[in-house]
Amino acid sequence: MSRRYDSRTTIFSPEGRIHQVEYAIEAINHAGTVIAINSKNGIFILAEAKRPSALIADKVDNEKIYKLSGCMVGCVAGITADANILINYARNQVQNHLQAFNEPAPVEKIVRQVANVKQNYTQYGGLRPFGVSIVYAAFSREGGFKLYHSDPSGNYASWKSICIGANSSSIIGTLKEKWTPDIDLTGAKNLAFEAYCKPCDVQSISSKNFETMVLTLDSDDKPLFQALGTDEVENLLKENNPIKAS
Amino acid sequence: MNGDADKLLAYNGGAVVAMAGKQCVALASDMRFGRDQFQTVSSQFPKLYCLGPRLYLGLTGLISDIQTVSETMQYHVNLYELNERRQVKPHVFTSMLSNHLYAKRFGPFYVESIVAGLQPKTYEPYLASLDILGGTTVSKNFSVTGTCKAQLYGMCEPLWKTDLDSMNLFEVLSQALLNAVDRDALSGWGATVCIIEPDRVTLRTLKARMD
Repeated sequence: MSRRYDSRTTIFSPEGRIHQVEYAIEAINHAGTVIAINSKNGIFILAEAKRPSALIADKVDNEKIYKLSGCMVGCVAGITADANILINYARNQVQNHLQAFNEPAPVEKIVRQVANVKQNYTQYGGLRPFGVSIVYAAFSREGGFKLYHSDPSGNYASWKSICIGANSSSIIGTLKEKWTPDIDLTGAKNLAFEAYCKPCDVQSISSKNFETMVLTLDSDDKPLFQALGTDEVENLLKENNPIKAS
Repeated sequence: MNGDADKLLAYNGGAVVAMAGKQCVALASDMRFGRDQFQTVSSQFPKLYCLGPRLYLGLTGLISDIQTVSETMQYHVNLYELNERRQVKPHVFTSMLSNHLYAKRFGPFYVESIVAGLQPKTYEPYLASLDILGGTTVSKNFSVTGTCKAQLYGMCEPLWKTDLDSMNLFEVLSQALLNAVDRDALSGWGATVCIIEPDRVTLRTLKARMD
């Protein structure tokens, strides 16, 4: 029956739902997983970059995690082409703020601006929504380390730890169980790998498919973004892979 | 065609000079911010902007436009480095600036710019100067700009030598700047010098005549 009410974004169904938005959210559940965990001394992000074919030329190491500014990173799950548009928009908005106010753009402002773009496509124009969920990780003097998430509907919220993409509901279950407010960065790294490996088919996990990002403060108290080395990723995988014993 | 240009370029006063040495480049500016010839509003206004670890931009002209152009170039450099995930090269930056200035062909920014930097990997010096419409000249020795342009040429021409090391380059550049601005009412009130070497950048303030 809902068939009649799902071909256009700009109408509600009789149950009060906007089906196109829900279908967009559904598209993201087939995309590569992103797990982001906030801890006392930093944020750890684990993203699975799906390799569609062995013939892909170079190691694409920038498909999930994008630097938006000196203090902010955006991780995407969903339709990569849609994500590129939004990431580009976010980067431009950051620079606009910097030029006008001579200060780093506040995370929430950028999150809200991108979310408003997404919302636009659920109410006007008859164009389909963006099939992208974005997780933002940022550091600010005022707020410390923060995680935000926005989905195709344009809703956004701040999170202690979040997962989007494939297996997100079961991974969120693990995070809910095991995340504590006094978790530190090492704990966060282990938790992320543990939560990722749990619902997975072990054979298909390979360290080359991961993009990682650690957000901490350097010795001058400025935000520092680093990826984990392949060795460390291998170690974390080995330690947190539950089937390893057999 | 642009009758106002000369007047506006001299409204705030200022001077910038850059010289190339052996695997190093140095850039210096005065510190005066003046208003309409006779009033000095500030003596703490350096006209050098850092856009990368080995890339500096020196601007003279209308200070309002100096601030806008430097902020806009910072905007473009930031986006370039985010998208390309590498640092912008000096000659690429010069093209970006030139394009930006020419975009305002019929209502220009009243700035005259000098780009000073070291090429990546080889660390060869790079010097370029741009006029208000983005017309570019790449130099091998020195570049000058400002209300005392003629005086700066007069100082640089006899003092500059090839392959000066960073200490000597600093001395030559400082003397060129100080003596040129002392023959110009609209420049001076302090001086700042920046030496760019492959492994470090040194910023120094000079003791100058405060008049």
